[in-house]
Amino acid sequence: MSLAAPVMSSSVESLPTHESDAVRRDRMRRRNGSLAVFAVLAALAVVFLREVPSWMDSGIQRWAQDRYKWSITNRQTSPVFRWLFNPLTDFLTWSVEHTETLLLDLRWPGVVALIAAIGWRTGGVQAALAGAGAMVGVGVIADFDPAMRTLAIMTVSVVIALVIGIPLGVLSARSDRLERVLRVVLDTAQVLPIFVYFSPVQLFFGLKFAPAVVVTVVYALPPAVRLTNLGLRQVPVVANEVGHSFGATSLQQLFKVQLPLAKNTILLGLNQVIMMAFAIVVLASLLGTGDLGQSVLAGLQKQHVGQAFAAGMGIVLMAVALDRVSTGRPERPLSRQNRLPAVPRNWITPISVAAVALVVVLANAFDWRRFPSSLTYDISSPIDSAVDWVQRNLRKDVPIIGGTQAISDFLVIRVLNPMKEFLLWLPWLVIVVGIAFIGWLSRGWRLAATIAVCLLLIATMGTIPGGGGQIQMWDHAMDTLSQVLVAIALSVLIAFPLGVWAGRSDAVHRVLRPFLDIAQVLPQFVYLIPVVFLFSIGRAAGVVACVVYAVPPCIRLTALGMREVPTSPREAAISFGATGGQEMRRVQLPLARKAILLGINQTLLMVLATVIIAALVGAGALGLVSYEATSKPNLKFGQGVAGGLSIVLLAIMLDRLTQAWGTRPNREEKQSR
Amino acid sequence: MISVRDLWKVYGPRAQRIVGAAEADLPRGDLQARFGNVVAMRDISLDVAPGEVFVVMGLSGSGKSTLIRCITRLIEPTSGTVLVDGADVTAAGKDELLQIRRHKVSMVFQHFGLLPHRTLLDNVAFGLELRGVGKAERRERAGGVLELVGLPSMGDYKPHQLSGGQQQRVGLARALATNPDIMLFDEPFSALDPLIRREMQDEIVRLRREVSKTMMFITHDLSEALRLGDRIAIMRDGRFVQVGTPAEVVMEPADEYVANFVRDVPRSHVVPVDSVMGPASEGPFAGEVESGSKVREAVGLVAHSDLPVRVVSGGRTVGTLDRVGVLSVIATEES
Repeated sequence: MSLAAPVMSSSVESLPTHESDAVRRDRMRRRNGSLAVFAVLAALAVVFLREVPSWMDSGIQRWAQDRYKWSITNRQTSPVFRWLFNPLTDFLTWSVEHTETLLLDLRWPGVVALIAAIGWRTGGVQAALAGAGAMVGVGVIADFDPAMRTLAIMTVSVVIALVIGIPLGVLSARSDRLERVLRVVLDTAQVLPIFVYFSPVQLFFGLKFAPAVVVTVVYALPPAVRLTNLGLRQVPVVANEVGHSFGATSLQQLFKVQLPLAKNTILLGLNQVIMMAFAIVVLASLLGTGDLGQSVLAGLQKQHVGQAFAAGMGIVLMAVALDRVSTGRPERPLSRQNRLPAVPRNWITPISVAAVALVVVLANAFDWRRFPSSLTYDISSPIDSAVDWVQRNLRKDVPIIGGTQAISDFLVIRVLNPMKEFLLWLPWLVIVVGIAFIGWLSRGWRLAATIAVCLLLIATMGTIPGGGGQIQMWDHAMDTLSQVLVAIALSVLIAFPLGVWAGRSDAVHRVLRPFLDIAQVLPQFVYLIPVVFLFSIGRAAGVVACVVYAVPPCIRLTALGMREVPTSPREAAISFGATGGQEMRRVQLPLARKAILLGINQTLLMVLATVIIAALVGAGALGLVSYEATSKPNLKFGQGVAGGLSIVLLAIMLDRLTQAWGTRPNREEKQSR
Repeated sequence: MISVRDLWKVYGPRAQRIVGAAEADLPRGDLQARFGNVVAMRDISLDVAPGEVFVVMGLSGSGKSTLIRCITRLIEPTSGTVLVDGADVTAAGKDELLQIRRHKVSMVFQHFGLLPHRTLLDNVAFGLELRGVGKAERRERAGGVLELVGLPSMGDYKPHQLSGGQQQRVGLARALATNPDIMLFDEPFSALDPLIRREMQDEIVRLRREVSKTMMFITHDLSEALRLGDRIAIMRDGRFVQVGTPAEVVMEPADEYVANFVRDVPRSHVVPVDSVMGPASEGPFAGEVESGSKVREAVGLVAHSDLPVRVVSGGRTVGTLDRVGVLSVIATEES
């Protein structure tokens, strides 16, 4: 007994509760100290600096403007341009122009036949019919010729993305370090709003096709790299061992074992590359490509909803066509594979080639150049009259919801304006210190420092003319931030309950899923059209577009987080007599917390990207600053660069902060360290 | 044919310093906590004679899969040498290693490892293809081997259309197609159900008679080891605890671990008649058994007759075995 006593007491001392008391005391002491530091900083900030002082202007705008001027005068003489960017620009322009010519020379029946043939090869008769049908639809609703230009830009971008992306994927499958680096770089590049890239590509590639292709490739590259990498890494260990054990060289291993086994995943990547390229190519048309995308954007900006809708439908139909023919056939079940296809598989290619050739020859012989006007359907007038009707009848005095104008007014006057004015009213350093403080609470000093640096850098972006004087870039950033905050709050408010519900009820999940699936494929601009239709243009329309765009993924990710919670703890809770609500609040939600917060992090970045793009429908702020510059680079290039950088900084700050919430270790995990 | 000397495999940082050092004998957890190393295989030496079937038996984690992979350097050993048919595998350059893998040694895998995108014929021809054999020739040879393993005219099927047993027949055919002198088997039948496993073991016995190969066979199934092995090595914690014929392992286990393993094996299944027979004598006899066959073969004969059986070798009587001799073997099982 005498021996047992000290053993007992020492084991009691090592129990976690006792130790954690000491840890907690320590933490409290440190927390109090840091609180004091932040309080002092905040007080100083209030007293001394209400506005961003003019000495903080780093002069980046002037610097960038000078670089642009230099690039204009030296474009023909500087070696960087003569030997690198000019040949590249020429090559890209040449590729797009020739692809366009080729597509036009095929004539529209030839293009439809080509799509059908590809569909037949990859997905059978069904895919062929769906692809051809959607392609004819493009001609019926929108203009076929500008659509071919869109298709040409997209084709060139996809080919380049694959030519670069697949080898990069192969390399990153072989090196963990390269994989990590590439993932960070590509993911960052992909979440940034597209306008950020406009100024840099304009500097190096000028306007029209070349910069449009470059920007599109930036977004289309990640899926090519990611899925090639994934496919190769998923090759079973034993398959790799088989190759090596029979004496395969490294190249034999790649081409005879790994790539064939990764084929399906890489094809999935191809499909994603195409869809991503489509989403971007429309926005890239702001660089002056004169394709279908430009009709959409022009229509949106001039509030010709019908025009925007027709062109938008054309692009969506083209996307559907290419999606159908590039999805391919998944692994077919055994029974179907055994059945003989109607046409032997190795006949498909020769037959299709012959058929396409015949159609092209016929189309050229009879000169079916234009899509027959008897087949076209002008969808823009009915849409325009519908818009008129909406404007007349739904703007005001609608029972309960009050009408679109009322909603829009409420959003602007009661929510967006107070939010923006509050952020502008706060002394700017208080915002810096305040958000850094939130960062410190979430993750500690490093996050606080990152946030502070991002915000301080935004303050160095200088001023731009506007509102009869000079406006601080900081103020534009706060305008954007207020829109982001309102949009994310609304999105979460709508999506979180639905997501939780879908996470707990299979029936709800089944009902919502098709909508979520469709929403995932549609590009951002598609959401702008109906929003302008209902809400006209302005900041409210922008916020609504963000919400509409962000709610589906937010629902999906919340539901996913809820569904991934293992069943055993939930069953345990129920077996102890928990009600459904208790089980949800005490078991499922806490266990799903991290996944849901990470979902919100992703949603937030989508919201930011959309807020920026919503500048196209009058949301103003940083988005406007950054894309406006493309049309008047001689005057505004510097502003565009500064605006783009501000967006990047804002994105990094918001991303780091919310990511910290999603990955913050639980208290138990902290203690076990 | 295979000669392994002082082979070690240590995972973790600066693995070389653990080899042969006192630290290698630390308990697994301690070694990993203090140095970050794990010893998968320690100080293995073995020789496999031409035409011999050498079975390595051990539970999962004993290091047997590491050992067989070190033979062709699918896993790089940390130290030691491996000779295959006189060639030093461990010192071989890239090209020499490829030649050894392509011509001398082939391997049959636990989960078959068939390439799903290829037909059976192209799976079997895989090794020949890597070697650069022309399409027509390699297909013809592959077709012949498929016939040998009992899958004639199925060359155009894809692997997923086959049952597990059939798939492993293809795996076997693929290993045979390159006509290697040495075949390595990495638990080839453990994923099959017992009846099919039995069938496949018979297939190996048959193949041994028809094509003379040196085989190294990994298994965790003792009865499989006893059935197939000329010699068996029992492996535990990365080292051999005993190497011997099936009879030696069963009758004279080296330690308690092995003894526990073989406790339930009927002695009459592993003891050859030669080790208990008496001197040759004149008849009459109840019957005859081949020299080298197991005692169990004589049980039925002596049970129905008071006469002894004779042991023959090449038609000549080399000894006799009576009821007492047979029972003395069976009696040891009961103790």
